Amino acid sequence: MTATDGSTFDPLVDLMVERVVRVSPERAWAAWTNPDHVRQWYAPAPGTISECEIDLRPGGVFRFVLRQPNGVENPITCCYLEVVTHRRLVWTDALMPGYRPSQTGFFTAVMTLEPRGDATLCTTVAMHRDATDRNHHADMGFHDGWGTVLDQLGAYAPTM
Amino acid sequence: MVASVATVDGVFRALSDPTRRDVIARLTRRPESVSALAEPFDMALPSLMQHLGVLESSGLIRSTKTGRVRTYRLVPKRLQVAEHWLAAQRDLWEHRMDQFESFANSMEGEQ
Repeated sequence: MTATDGSTFDPLVDLMVERVVRVSPERAWAAWTNPDHVRQWYAPAPGTISECEIDLRPGGVFRFVLRQPNGVENPITCCYLEVVTHRRLVWTDALMPGYRPSQTGFFTAVMTLEPRGDATLCTTVAMHRDATDRNHHADMGFHDGWGTVLDQLGAYAPTM
Repeated sequence: MVASVATVDGVFRALSDPTRRDVIARLTRRPESVSALAEPFDMALPSLMQHLGVLESSGLIRSTKTGRVRTYRLVPKRLQVAEHWLAAQRDLWEHRMDQFESFANSMEGEQ
């Protein structure tokens, strides 16, 4: 299975999620690229997005602030790598806007839209770092919702 | 919490090497002695022992010595750590995509 051009899907650290939505690729694209739209759904509930900044071009910024119900806010900054209007969007937190390497890179996401009659198939592939530097994320405590992950892990680990 | 993250870290580091993944794959079938594990690899025994050491310290495998034969076996529970980590990532994205789906569908009839 191919996650993206030249990259092989690694079932150990990658995942793919698909949804069919009852709107055109144009509208689905807007949901992913218009900051006013993104802030309405992108945060993993019960978190919300209090700010969202998008500069929709390769090297452009995708920045948002995740706000937890307890008021804690975490800004997340990503860089767009590919922007193919109505079709394909690739971004990562491994690079900052303008392609400057980041200290905390963890994932690359590839979102594609394909028309399916009157509907649109939306596929997201999330590719993750192969796990040599995960302690850092524990230090951050919450990183783009990954804190939930660590909490779940914390709940699970004692049962091992 | 810190210990559990270190656990995940160790498991993924252990699994980040193709030789070690191959060892794991073979131990999922049955326990093996060091010499049996070494057989298919074109690698000096000390190198293999180093890989086995990484796997054992991550908790993925365990060894016992009977006479002069050291036998390695899989610790299946520890392998689940990797699966659980990815499952949690999957939960996050499934959740996010559910929210995307609801939102996108609510755009029907909008400009």
